[in-house]
Amino acid sequence: MSGALQRNGVVIDDTFAEAFPMKATRIVVTAHNLHWARHAAVAATGFATSVIGCGCEAGIEREWSADETPDGRPGFALLLFSVSGKELAKQIEKRVGQCVLTCPTTAVFAGIAEGEAVALGKNLRFFGDGWQLSKVIAGVRYWRVPVMDGEFVAQETTAVVKAVGGGNLLMLARDTESALRAAEAAVDAMKALPNVILPFPGGVVRSGSKVGSKYAALSASTNEAFCPGLYGLVGKSEITPETRCVLEIVIDGLTEADVAAAMRAGMLACIAIGPAGGLLRLSAGNYGGKLGPYHFHLHRLLGGAATA
Amino acid sequence: MSGLRFALMQVPRLRVDMRGVTPSACEGLTLPEIERRQVTQGNESMPLAEWFQIDRTDDDAWVFEADLGRFDRVGWQMCSGRIVVQGSVGDYAGGCMSGGELRVMGAAGALAACEMSGGRLTIEGSVGDFAAGSLPGSIDGMRGGVLVVKGHAGARFGDRMRRGSALVFGDAGDFLASRMVAGTVAVGGAAGAHAGFAMRRGSVVFAGPAPVVASTFVPALVEAGVIWQLLARDLAGHGGPFAQLAKRRPVRHLGDLAADGKGELIVTR
Repeated sequence: MSGALQRNGVVIDDTFAEAFPMKATRIVVTAHNLHWARHAAVAATGFATSVIGCGCEAGIEREWSADETPDGRPGFALLLFSVSGKELAKQIEKRVGQCVLTCPTTAVFAGIAEGEAVALGKNLRFFGDGWQLSKVIAGVRYWRVPVMDGEFVAQETTAVVKAVGGGNLLMLARDTESALRAAEAAVDAMKALPNVILPFPGGVVRSGSKVGSKYAALSASTNEAFCPGLYGLVGKSEITPETRCVLEIVIDGLTEADVAAAMRAGMLACIAIGPAGGLLRLSAGNYGGKLGPYHFHLHRLLGGAATA
Repeated sequence: MSGLRFALMQVPRLRVDMRGVTPSACEGLTLPEIERRQVTQGNESMPLAEWFQIDRTDDDAWVFEADLGRFDRVGWQMCSGRIVVQGSVGDYAGGCMSGGELRVMGAAGALAACEMSGGRLTIEGSVGDFAAGSLPGSIDGMRGGVLVVKGHAGARFGDRMRRGSALVFGDAGDFLASRMVAGTVAVGGAAGAHAGFAMRRGSVVFAGPAPVVASTFVPALVEAGVIWQLLARDLAGHGGPFAQLAKRRPVRHLGDLAADGKGELIVTR
């Protein structure tokens, strides 16, 4: 923690968020109305907070109006990220198969045209037990699987593209109330942007982690340097005595620029709250720059010189 | 390659087979070489220049400024480029084409777009029998691409069709989409008798009057609104009688139960 950049009284650490290459896809889930589209979207992106334990990171990117979707019904765009195309393909099949195919009135389409094609409805079609039908429309193949409310329509494939995962922002606040207020403001600002998701509950994570553990079986463990409860106990704490609560936002985006834009929007929302609202500092998590090729320097994202 | 203008110098007494006269087949040839390109008339071969005055143009298309009603296999096995015929064409127009665009301002004879697998064939006039069908003895008919007929179609339109889209703005003759394996056929006008005869899969859309549906089809209890919107919006892009298709309600009949029974006749209201 060094550097003198301050904005609206909020200290901006001279540090950077370290992010990693991932594979991602966008799928569009539509339904008879928004109510059922949301049920499918929420279910399909559930239990997808971290690749560490969930296989993928997923979230709702935004709502699509009936004018935007391929079938003229309302829906949601979902973004799914994983560490490899193979794992992502597995997750797509499981999540669409269990959470979208099963949900009344839904249909699913690819939300990205260019990229490596992986199965979307290609394997799910076999649920039709021989009654499934293929339909090629404008060069795109769809599968029609008979189900009890009619038929489930799924585009055959979706495109997987290179993406960036693990952008992050740490909000150090005077108390829990202030930290939540800052985090919620940052989440609102980031969610307004395209091509990004915040995979944790409500977009916010309290269990920021470091790589490794004293226990050999664990690949990640609590980041004690940012735990207020361990201040004075751990050898190298990153917080000051005034900090009583730290929350983190993790950002996955389709490109480096998307993650950077989201981080910047979140920082500006936090800065607007300022110390008057209980926010003291903004920081970010990294591993010394040796693991991830994408480095999002907080000072650079804010574009500049220190101001009081 | 620059475009070419073909002006007809004389109308042949016998029919001329135009296979091998496409932009892709003549790619890299000089104008004299194209003029010497052999076409057959009966059992005789003769150079293309026997029939046409050929000139280079700045356009990228081959334009036949003539009625080619006595010329068969125009655009046969075409796989790229663009051909425009400012008149009618004979039989087999666009047969086995796999890419590119063929536009016929007049009518076409029998077997237009037979076994077509890609590209786009537009016929401003009417077509004869077996358009989008198969060659005699073949298993599959049209298997890709788009055929648009702005006039009427003869009998057996889309016979044994397997893939692609074939549209008729006007009326279609008897046995529309007979023995169809898959793909999409759409008719803007009236259809003749036995529509969908022995069809196994595929969709036949009727934007005009409802056809007489054979007793080997069963009414569908489900509208299949999602796939209908995808299909109707795609067909609407062709305009004409299909322009408002997405706003209409589909009524489906499933069959032909005498065959595989997974096809659908879609009447719109």
